[in-house]
Amino acid sequence: MRSKSVFGFDLLLFIATIALVSIGIAFIFSSGVTSTGIVYSNEYIRQTVWALSGIGLLILFISFDYSFVRRLSLRIYLILIALLIFTLFIGRVVNGSRSWLGIWEFGIQPSEFCKIAVILFLAHILDKKNAQIKDVRYFVLYLGIVLFPMGLVLLQPDLGTASVFLPIALAMFFIAGARTRHILFIVFTGFLLVVLTMLPAYEIYLAKRTIPAVNLLTNTHLSVYLISGVAGICVLAISGYFFTKKSYFYWIAYFSVILMFALCGSFVFRKVLKEYQIMRLIVFLDPNVDARGAGWNIIQSVTAVGSGGLWGKGFLKGTQSHYRYIPQQSTDFIFSIISEEWGFAGVSIVFALFLIIIIRGIFIIRSTKDRFAGIAAAGIIMMIFFHFLVNVGMAISLMPVTGIPLFFLSYGGSSLWTVLISIGLLMSFYLRRFKV
Amino acid sequence: MRADDTSLSKNRIYFFAACIIALFTVYLIHLFNLQVVNEEVYQERATQVTQRSVPIYAQRGEIFDRHYDTPIVSNIDSFAIDVIPGEIPSGEKENIIKRLAEYLGLTVSEINRKIPPSYSDLYQPIEIKNGISLETITYLAEHLEDFPGVTWHSKPIRNYVEKETLAHVLGYVGDITREEIQVLYNQGYSYGSVLGKSGIEKQYDFLLRGKDGKEFRTVDVRGRRVGEAILEDEPPVLGSSIVLTIDRHIQRLCEKALGQRSGAIVVTKPATGEILALVSYPSFDPNLFYDTSNTEAFRQLSLNTQFPFLNRAIQSQYPPASAYKIIMTTAIVEEEVIPLNKTILCPGYLNYGDRVFRCHKQSGHGALALFSALAESCDVYYYTVGAEYLGIERIVDFSRRFGLGEPTGIDIPGEISGTLPSPSWVSKTYNSRWQGGDTVNMSIGQGYLGVTPIQMANVVSMIVNEGAVYKPHLLKEVRDPLTGDILEEIKPEILSTSAIRPSTFETVQKAMRQVITEGTARVVITTKATSVAGKTGTGEAGFDDRWHSWFVAYAPFEEDAKPEDRIVLVVLVEAANDWEWWGPKASNIILDGIFSDKTYEEVMGSLRAWYLRVENPGD
Repeated sequence: MRSKSVFGFDLLLFIATIALVSIGIAFIFSSGVTSTGIVYSNEYIRQTVWALSGIGLLILFISFDYSFVRRLSLRIYLILIALLIFTLFIGRVVNGSRSWLGIWEFGIQPSEFCKIAVILFLAHILDKKNAQIKDVRYFVLYLGIVLFPMGLVLLQPDLGTASVFLPIALAMFFIAGARTRHILFIVFTGFLLVVLTMLPAYEIYLAKRTIPAVNLLTNTHLSVYLISGVAGICVLAISGYFFTKKSYFYWIAYFSVILMFALCGSFVFRKVLKEYQIMRLIVFLDPNVDARGAGWNIIQSVTAVGSGGLWGKGFLKGTQSHYRYIPQQSTDFIFSIISEEWGFAGVSIVFALFLIIIIRGIFIIRSTKDRFAGIAAAGIIMMIFFHFLVNVGMAISLMPVTGIPLFFLSYGGSSLWTVLISIGLLMSFYLRRFKV
Repeated sequence: MRADDTSLSKNRIYFFAACIIALFTVYLIHLFNLQVVNEEVYQERATQVTQRSVPIYAQRGEIFDRHYDTPIVSNIDSFAIDVIPGEIPSGEKENIIKRLAEYLGLTVSEINRKIPPSYSDLYQPIEIKNGISLETITYLAEHLEDFPGVTWHSKPIRNYVEKETLAHVLGYVGDITREEIQVLYNQGYSYGSVLGKSGIEKQYDFLLRGKDGKEFRTVDVRGRRVGEAILEDEPPVLGSSIVLTIDRHIQRLCEKALGQRSGAIVVTKPATGEILALVSYPSFDPNLFYDTSNTEAFRQLSLNTQFPFLNRAIQSQYPPASAYKIIMTTAIVEEEVIPLNKTILCPGYLNYGDRVFRCHKQSGHGALALFSALAESCDVYYYTVGAEYLGIERIVDFSRRFGLGEPTGIDIPGEISGTLPSPSWVSKTYNSRWQGGDTVNMSIGQGYLGVTPIQMANVVSMIVNEGAVYKPHLLKEVRDPLTGDILEEIKPEILSTSAIRPSTFETVQKAMRQVITEGTARVVITTKATSVAGKTGTGEAGFDDRWHSWFVAYAPFEEDAKPEDRIVLVVLVEAANDWEWWGPKASNIILDGIFSDKTYEEVMGSLRAWYLRVENPGD
């Protein structure tokens, strides 16, 4: 595949980035204008400042060799872990999560930057010890590198941001050559965990009838029996495999461990998760369960998106947004405004720009000779893509409301800097793709 | 997996890319569905969410009397002041409310009670005070900058032009209550609806209220108006005009004739059942109810021991006393229990069982036959015939044929049915046996018997119509409020007919005429304007020097008079008043006024001073 860039500078990636950031600022402006044309929010000015400084950072990261960053990756990782711990104690509470670190007006979210730190450090480890990833013990160890900061973010508690870490890690493991069954183990466990956590709430709000099997989860005695039973099967299967090396023992053990983890995890989650967090998932399945409360955002957002039509209502002419039916318009629901005012045509442009960035990223993974750069690029692409998937999915009710920003577009300095630094790294990888 | 450790698996990269592109495609298809395929669904939903409707209240229909010239109930332009709490600048709230309170003559706490602090984000108008004049609104409009967040809307006042006249017939209106809305919600009432609470206003609310329109506005999430509406406004439909059967001149005449005496007067046209006048005293001013803050007036009226809200013509029962003798006379003639010329001796009392029943004339009437007995209102005659010739069964039967014990079906709410006793009724109600003395008492309209004045009007109507009674009604026509075209005309409706022979009624009519020409009413019914047939009545009410004073009559008596020219008059003056024998006297004034087309003042001017002092010769 031939590079379209001049002098190794990935112009297409850069232009797509600038275009998305500009669209973001325009719609942050739109979200701060009332229907009567009064500008009541200066968020767009702040975002412009963040964008300009962020582009400065981007260029800075292109300009020096990323191997410098790689050498510092452990230290960066440790510093951010420290910041996260720090945040848990002296952080500022915004929207119910203690996730901000800052003085006066200026504040950052360490959890955003932590994603880059994890990507760099993980890529560094995975490159150095490339053969070991196939070994389940190392797989678990590397997973720990991700789960530790993820746990700290969960404690804030910021479920949305925490949920990003795992997909990033899995994508990197996958590209780095981890065994598919190990990755699927995590995917299955996560999926089952969510389902089991939700079942009792599903019974109450959606099924509206008693599902006898759910008793196994809600009744403490029965749960203990169930978990011990599954644990027994695990022990038997593992010892069976240990002695006979028969593959069917392996698979029995594989799935019963998944089941056991999910059961234990869901038990803990139901105790830890707050009512509103459960409700977010419930209204994802049916927003009308709580149309004025938890389901409000989804209903209003989908209405705004749908009413945009093919060509949209025109810039600054969206009704649902300017009459303020959509909450958090400049951050979580920026996509709803774009869809309402620019319609499907505008949405296609935004999709195209994201796709350009991601395809260019894939191309960088393909073309780089450096395993570290390739694995890190995969992490960055997954990060951008997962945010896109969850945030846009939320606006069109394909994903539950988790409150993670849409990179490039959503208002917020930390996420904008994070993504611009990431793009800077990608471009740096590209520039130095022939270097090993 | 390739063995080469330094490079990444191409397949995995392509798989990774393929997953991403696949999910992108799914999202794009979903968005295409949302925005292009189902665009209209969501646009409609978006419109629905942002459109709110505000009612445009329909003007309530006007009420006219039968002449349909000038309304007796109309609407006065008036306004209500609203406050939109969300539009008051937060720092100035205290000042603005203070200024507004001063200006409207309210206290600050009264206003604050209507807009508690929890409303401070609300963008919906809250009514603070109604009944505001145009001048006040004009001032407010000129000083709008001093009153941010203050606005107003039109809220006409119901105006009962002649105040206490007809108050019981017309009723009054008020804001709908929480309980009423639960019952009436399906009939299109809503909060803020004005509702007829009694009388015609209540009975014909469905005609008078029209249909509220809707003004649409586009609002934001907090209900604040943000722009032009997308939907077109629905104009209100005016309430229909109502024309009553009431003749306001006769009504006025009757009210003045009754004066400040507790009692009731009913004037009807027997040929149709139309009610020309319906008076009940004491009355009240329905205009007082408009001001909802003025609950004091309502409280005082409801606590008044004379019960001004009571419509005595239909909601109060009295012993008919001697007026009942016209029913007895009809029964006697129809059943032929005694020849018309056969006399009975009245020594002034009757011994019946172990009791002595006295005639009102202590010295006795001597021997008299039916016509004289009615004219002189001899009690002993009726005691004797009732108890010994007719018997209680036939007395009750005839009373029932005349409609006693049943509501007349007059078209205003709250009518009572009176009491028609019978042996079975007594045993059921008092758990005691019907005594012979009870029949004696009932023969002269005393005892358990209770009738309403409107029932007595029907009794006379049946005699006039010789067997048919038309349902008494107040609604004459429904008219278009703009063009005045008649939308509906109320046709006479037969309430009951009886199989009693017309000749019987003719006899009773003659007997009633004799009451005026030769009997008890001779001295008091002096009008020359018409020929009257009627009957007096003096009802026991437990006092020694005061009685209920009845007079029931119709005029003109002449057989060749046109039926539609005839009127039936019932006057009842309660025993609560000083004894003046006012029933027949008021009747004389009214009949003279109606048939010589004079006002009350003109009639009184022509009556000599001695007239008012005429003593009751006894009945």
